[in-house]
Amino acid sequence: MTRPANRSAQQVVRMLALVPYLQGNDGVPVREVAREFGVTPKQIRDDLRLLMFTGVGEYAGELIDVDLAALEVDDVIHIRDAEFLSRPLRLTADEGVALVAALRTLRASASGSQLPIVDAALAKLETAVAAEGAVEAVDVHVADVDPAVRDTVAAALADGRRLEIDYATDSRDDVTTRQVDPQRLFTRQGHTYLEAYCLRADDVRFFRLDRVVRAADTGRLAERHDTTSRDLGDDIFEVGEQTPSAVLDLDPAAHWLTEYYTVEELGDVDGRRRVRLYGGDEAWLRRLVLRNGGTVHVVEPHALRVQVLDTARSALAAYDG
Amino acid sequence: MNLIFTLLVTRQYLSKDQIRQAIADYRESNQVAFERKFERDKEELRELGIAVETGTNDKYFDDEPGYRIRRDTAELPDLDLTREEAAVLGLAAQVWEHAGLASSSTSALVKLKAAGVDVDTDVLRMAEPKLSAHEPAFEVALDAAARSVPVRFAYRRPGADEPTQRHVEPWRILSWRGRWYLVGHDVDRDAPRMFRLSRVVGDLELAGEPGAFRRPPEEVVSAAATALFPRPSDRTARLSVAPRRANALRRTATHVETGDDGRDVLVVPFSTGWDLAAEIASYGPDVVVLDPPDLRDQVVARLRAVLADSGVGA
Repeated sequence: MTRPANRSAQQVVRMLALVPYLQGNDGVPVREVAREFGVTPKQIRDDLRLLMFTGVGEYAGELIDVDLAALEVDDVIHIRDAEFLSRPLRLTADEGVALVAALRTLRASASGSQLPIVDAALAKLETAVAAEGAVEAVDVHVADVDPAVRDTVAAALADGRRLEIDYATDSRDDVTTRQVDPQRLFTRQGHTYLEAYCLRADDVRFFRLDRVVRAADTGRLAERHDTTSRDLGDDIFEVGEQTPSAVLDLDPAAHWLTEYYTVEELGDVDGRRRVRLYGGDEAWLRRLVLRNGGTVHVVEPHALRVQVLDTARSALAAYDG
Repeated sequence: MNLIFTLLVTRQYLSKDQIRQAIADYRESNQVAFERKFERDKEELRELGIAVETGTNDKYFDDEPGYRIRRDTAELPDLDLTREEAAVLGLAAQVWEHAGLASSSTSALVKLKAAGVDVDTDVLRMAEPKLSAHEPAFEVALDAAARSVPVRFAYRRPGADEPTQRHVEPWRILSWRGRWYLVGHDVDRDAPRMFRLSRVVGDLELAGEPGAFRRPPEEVVSAAATALFPRPSDRTARLSVAPRRANALRRTATHVETGDDGRDVLVVPFSTGWDLAAEIASYGPDVVVLDPPDLRDQVVARLRAVLADSGVGA
């Protein structure tokens, strides 16, 4: 990447931003600068020591001057003779790309009233990038959410109100109505989730927003619940001992399943790829096999195999009748 | 640093000699070492995104070409951000969970703060999206697309035994439902193609110079990526659905009415019968196709395939 790979280049990048920052924040404490720049206070001191040897020339007044007494005694920074660099440099291609991709992600989960803000920020940011066309190199799409649901949820979260939602659990193929106190909205792996205290479950739950069929503001205030926010890791779906699974043989046409679901490879059997696939519950597994009828073959459990066959048989009966 | 400052403050182009005299480290090196350092430092500036301009001060004299950095192209312009826009950028800087991209976000935000932008993310209550990239090929692919560098890599399609070698001009890296794809021109096939980065086997390598190709117009790039997105529906199906079942289908229905038999009749728009037939088959007897006949046949064929597999026959 064009991102500076070595530490000295990173330091140059930081110092070039540090100079205008310090001029705009005269007398700022070292600690605060370190926090803003995401480095240690020691690093900032090292930067300052190096900065004193730089400038537009080599004589007094041409080199950047750091007030060492203030630095040693009060831990605050004053610099002088740096007027030649009063503004930071433009964003590099990789800085631009990183922020633009992040903004496009934010945009996908923003509510209707927030969209114009994100769009304005995007447009202004694009003028700040040095490398022309670099920002077109990346794009992010998030699963569509019903705008009415998204706006209702976002507003309830902002105003601290309790919601009533109809939530579809596709693996069990049912819809439940629950009252929830919203805590957080976030996007993970291309889907937007609502983290909320569910009064029905009496605990914190994650709801995928594209599965919220209906959301209504109850008009009541959300309550505070004494819960710790769980961090939803990258593996939203975690395999445990209790996780239902099935041993399946996959034809080549069904190999793509291994990219989407959690599987354990069991080797090739009779020219087919044998895997243990984890997920959902028995009904979910049954639907998965039926969906890929003829290319996914159930090895075990026997009960699943029987269920799949029974379901297919009764479905066919509906057509013959 | 001193090279940047020296070239930045000058209005005139500085000759190589003038630059050498101005900077102690250059002055104290012998000619060969100076040339080497000067070239290395210029390259480093280019990598930092700082354009060094070459030209002559007086076009009537055959001067030696000189160097300078134009302030107006090098410095961050005033973005004139509102408080809320600044907050959005602050939130954006927290989105990346990829170490490299997160550090790029931070250094971008630091520049904005250095320009006097006050970033207070508390003024906005927004979703907190997270972007990650676990595909090993991601970082090189993104760099290649940003700088228009051709790439080569081994690519394995699911179901294929052996990976094939690909040569691609990368136009764009895009994330769809949490997975990263590369869209570009497949040089060997002379056609636009899309690749899933997780299917790249081994290293994705740069295979050319920056700017080696031009990214085509937006509509061409988007068209190459359309395979990812559901095609617009151009047909409708009528389905008989058991009460309260097939909720995912119900969400896409444009019309629902209750039939005489107590089951619901759903009107569902679709584009590819293949996808819809798979979905319908998964519900078993809970969903039965009334119309159109070709969809009905596809569902029946799928269900028969399930039984044929068991040796039971249809």
